[in-house]
Amino acid sequence: MLEPVMFTGGVYKHDLVIELVEDLGGYVLQKNVTQSEVILLLLVPTEDMPALESLIKELRGELVRAPLAGTEVAVVTPTLAIHHLPHTACDIAEYLRRNGAKSNMMGLARGVGREIAQINEYESALINEHDAAVFIFGNFAECIRKKESLYRNISVPVVVTGGPKIPKEDLPYAFEYVPSIGRVAHRARKATEIGTLDSIIDAVGRALDRTRNEISKDPLTTSPPRVMDAVREQVPEVEYSYSPLPIALNLNGLRVKLPYQGYRDAVKAVTFDEGVKLGEIATIKPSRMKEYILVRILPASETGFVF
Amino acid sequence: MDPMEVFKIEVTGQEEFGAKKYREIIMDILQDLGLIRSIGRLYVYIDIMKPVFAVYGLLRSGIPPLTVKDVGDVLKVEGGYQIKINDEEHMSDLLKVLWAQYGRERVEQPSRDIVVIASDTPPSGLTVADLEAEFLQDLTDALLRVAPEGFRNRRNEMTKDSFFFIAAEETLKPEMIAEMKQKIREMENA
Repeated sequence: MLEPVMFTGGVYKHDLVIELVEDLGGYVLQKNVTQSEVILLLLVPTEDMPALESLIKELRGELVRAPLAGTEVAVVTPTLAIHHLPHTACDIAEYLRRNGAKSNMMGLARGVGREIAQINEYESALINEHDAAVFIFGNFAECIRKKESLYRNISVPVVVTGGPKIPKEDLPYAFEYVPSIGRVAHRARKATEIGTLDSIIDAVGRALDRTRNEISKDPLTTSPPRVMDAVREQVPEVEYSYSPLPIALNLNGLRVKLPYQGYRDAVKAVTFDEGVKLGEIATIKPSRMKEYILVRILPASETGFVF
Repeated sequence: MDPMEVFKIEVTGQEEFGAKKYREIIMDILQDLGLIRSIGRLYVYIDIMKPVFAVYGLLRSGIPPLTVKDVGDVLKVEGGYQIKINDEEHMSDLLKVLWAQYGRERVEQPSRDIVVIASDTPPSGLTVADLEAEFLQDLTDALLRVAPEGFRNRRNEMTKDSFFFIAAEETLKPEMIAEMKQKIREMENA
């Protein structure tokens, strides 16, 4: 069992942490260097946590659990106008990030209004590439009920947030509804507002757990972090990608941020120690996000083996 | 406590939460844009089933135009007048006005906050900026920010001492505008 954790500490000697994690059979998901500080998102075997903890104590770093690490969550607002951004949307996205998720903010082209709100095929396909989505709505219960049409066709779990309290039965297509964070014109700073952000994280966590449960019934042929390591090693160009996170992990695959046309075959040809090629155990298709490569690992029921 | 004399919000249906929240949003936005002291009374009517959003407000007494003596001290010096700028915010407006009045060759700026004019007539009374026009612009901006975003059909009636703003998703018909004005009048008289 791998434990998702976040390390924050000085740049000095942080490579010792990376080395230890790799020796223990864990994975480094993301490395962010900000001047003299470094933030690492790690997956570490649970039984080896004390070894890492003692090293980090020695380095005077900080280690916290990041329950959402290795997932991608879409934060969707009706548009990108001043009415919906920045306050609520940025607060939620930032909070998701602090808990380890890769959050992407999305504004719909025509998501505004009560009668006129709509979503198009491209937008829903893009949201479906994530592991979960958070839809941010406003202060009127009637509008929140009516805007169900925006996420009815989304196949990943959708956490809906809004102002008023609405019984769950009124929103059958939402995974969960989190009240008291509707449209506001200031940043979240009161304890109650921060508490609401926490409950959104909890709801997203539960949504991801449900997906994890579903996957465990028919496990993936291999784990996404292992594919990430292999791709990083055998397609070195990915390290030159301009994205801050060149390989984004999902629960059932990953997104390689290289152009699909040029690197499709290189990604397909990635070979594991067992002699299996990535193209044999995963579907590799163009992502809706820019021209990236989307890798979806096939379940054991389709390939017939797990490694 | 509200800085306004009257601030009423009415929302149809079971939307007490929406009414409470819109009150906060309006206060936040008016405060951000520094308009709150210039509005005396404010009435907001929201019908979410139509849906329509209407605001009616009474403005506090007009703001006098900004003159040269408001932005700096005017002194008589040899060969003309010197202005010592205290408020740099309107510097560009001031220079534009002085250039238009005296010509560029007679306006000199030896240092950042000093302007010297070669003229016999004092510049004290010249109008630098029409603050009222700026205020009305800011107010329109605030109203657009306050109104729910999908309400793209808008109408804004402004007079010297009041404003009426209405926004809706559907086309604005004269009957609807009249109905909203009636509703707001009822709120005023309640």
